[in-house]
Amino acid sequence: MPEEQRESKLKQLGRSVKEFLYGMAGHDMTRFALKTRGSMEHLFILITMGDLLGIPILPPYYSLRLLPYVVPQISTWKRRMLRERDLTDALA
Amino acid sequence: MNSILVLLIAAAALIVGYGVYARRIDRNVVQPDGKKATPAKMYMDGVDFTPASRNVLFGYQFKSIAALGPITGPIIAVQWGWFPAMLWIILGTFFIGWVQDYGAMMMGVRRDGDSLGALSYKLVSPRARTILMIFLYFYLLLIMGSFGNAVGKTLMTNPKVPLGMFIVVLMGILAGQMTYKWKKDIILTTVVTVVLTFVGIWLSTTKPVAAFFNGLYGLPESPVWFLGNTQAQVIGTLLVIVFCYLGSVMPIWSFAQPINYISFWIVSLGILGGILGMIIWRPGMGDFPAFTKFTTASGPLWPMLFVTIACGAISGWHSLVSTSGTARQLEAETDALPVGGGAMFLEMIFATVAFLTATAAFGGFQGYQDAGGAGKALAVFSGGLANFLSHIGIPKEFGTAYGSVFLTIMALTIMQLCVRFMRVASAELAGDKFPAMKNIHIGTIVALLLTLVFVWVIPWLTIWSAFGAANQLMAGLALMLIALWAMSEGRKHTWALYPAAFMIVTTIAALLYLAYTNFAKLSSPDITTQAAIAAVLVGLIAVVLVVAAAFLVYDGWKALRKPQPKKAPAKV
Repeated sequence: MPEEQRESKLKQLGRSVKEFLYGMAGHDMTRFALKTRGSMEHLFILITMGDLLGIPILPPYYSLRLLPYVVPQISTWKRRMLRERDLTDALA
Repeated sequence: MNSILVLLIAAAALIVGYGVYARRIDRNVVQPDGKKATPAKMYMDGVDFTPASRNVLFGYQFKSIAALGPITGPIIAVQWGWFPAMLWIILGTFFIGWVQDYGAMMMGVRRDGDSLGALSYKLVSPRARTILMIFLYFYLLLIMGSFGNAVGKTLMTNPKVPLGMFIVVLMGILAGQMTYKWKKDIILTTVVTVVLTFVGIWLSTTKPVAAFFNGLYGLPESPVWFLGNTQAQVIGTLLVIVFCYLGSVMPIWSFAQPINYISFWIVSLGILGGILGMIIWRPGMGDFPAFTKFTTASGPLWPMLFVTIACGAISGWHSLVSTSGTARQLEAETDALPVGGGAMFLEMIFATVAFLTATAAFGGFQGYQDAGGAGKALAVFSGGLANFLSHIGIPKEFGTAYGSVFLTIMALTIMQLCVRFMRVASAELAGDKFPAMKNIHIGTIVALLLTLVFVWVIPWLTIWSAFGAANQLMAGLALMLIALWAMSEGRKHTWALYPAAFMIVTTIAALLYLAYTNFAKLSSPDITTQAAIAAVLVGLIAVVLVVAAAFLVYDGWKALRKPQPKKAPAKV
């Protein structure tokens, strides 16, 4: 096997081991951080888009000023809100 | 038999099982398409549905499925002899275990990342979801009872363990602060907290600390305090309950998460050290009998052995993790086999190591019995691990305390997750009628009081068997769902249906046996109040689980008989 190929295989193995360790040790923490961010985004969207649900939290002037920050979140927010959930989700 | 030979047999089973049988089913029957968009990509929401690499998910899946089950089960099961236990670990994983983990994952991927509840609603019947939720609550209660019993009444009663446990908790809280509040580097956080944890475990073995806990527990002859439990057992279980309460009500980032993180390092280093020590030592099983007798303290070999070893051969818990957790993160369908199947086969190796701590680490059957036997399975593991670690220069006293702390923390990480789930479940199921149940403290306290009853009243081997039966029944039902899903796609489904039938029949038999033996105890004139309460509790739970399973199997049977879409027959 040429030297370069061996090196790249070793690198790949090293990366795989690193990812495996991360999966065992830190992936849960990352997922939790994402969940926290998701919850924060829900609140942010509720504040800015509350009018749509009949909850006038912010005056429309401020909602419109915040709109550019909300737009990128809308698609993922929509997926989270519309997804069917049940109790077993609490275990994941 | 030599321990290295046992490990080689397990490795051979892994190579053949994963490399030949599992690959064949994957390639010819399920036919994953690497180019097809998975739910993680289609429904990416930045939270639950987020793609991750197969190596990351392999680690995540393994960590999520390997807890106390693969350690405790084999150590209890060797009371029937080493041969049946080893055979079930290997054959169970080979024909059933990986099928469930991988099948549940693929079913989740192909069904838009649906959870097990939603899948049972769609594939079986609308009422199946409700029954499954009730079933799950009892199942988690049994996990709490059995793990709480093992930890509170065995490990925490060792005066050299509690301080180590407190230090782990404190280091976890410190790790949370360092990571999230002080924004310190993760490597620095890890080194500081893990090193300090080891110092704490060493401190817990020193004489003044042991003397303090001896005094607290009233040892060496700890007096009986309550319902036949000694002072040490009552205090030990209360410590466990306090830990679970904090784990349930405190913010995850400040308590549960960082403690889990520290425990990963403590557990992994212990297991690696143990395996290394075993390879250097290469002990044999001595006079450990291949087969002892058909009926032991846990009951007859069939069906009780098959529910005693759950994780390590097959476990219903894995189907929950595979569907609600991992299936929503798979980057490609082709990753399901290495992640789901691979993690299960690795768990088989882990269970084999636990099996060897009972059979090989003490030089024979008498040594196993002297270390505590089936009745004190966790003490056997920590003693066996200490024997292995002593061959890489770690003192036995430290090794025993280390093994006990790591088992305790392994159990507690699962227990705090279960309490959280039970709190949410009770709020959902009873919150409308009893609004107080929506309060996190009340929901948690109710779950923990129920746990305490189970821990204090029900004997260890009985509650482990009941938990194992519920766990394996869950696995059988998950396999039934997998068979239904394969049918719904017009694929061959016998690879999941036969294991499902075996698991459902075996576990219902085990539950009926438990119900019968426990209700029969009530007719004894010498029965104590505690034994009577335990018998009624276990008997009733067994009956409830059998009834729930009967409904699910009946609905599943009806769904199986429905006409299915036709597809070109798959080759096997």
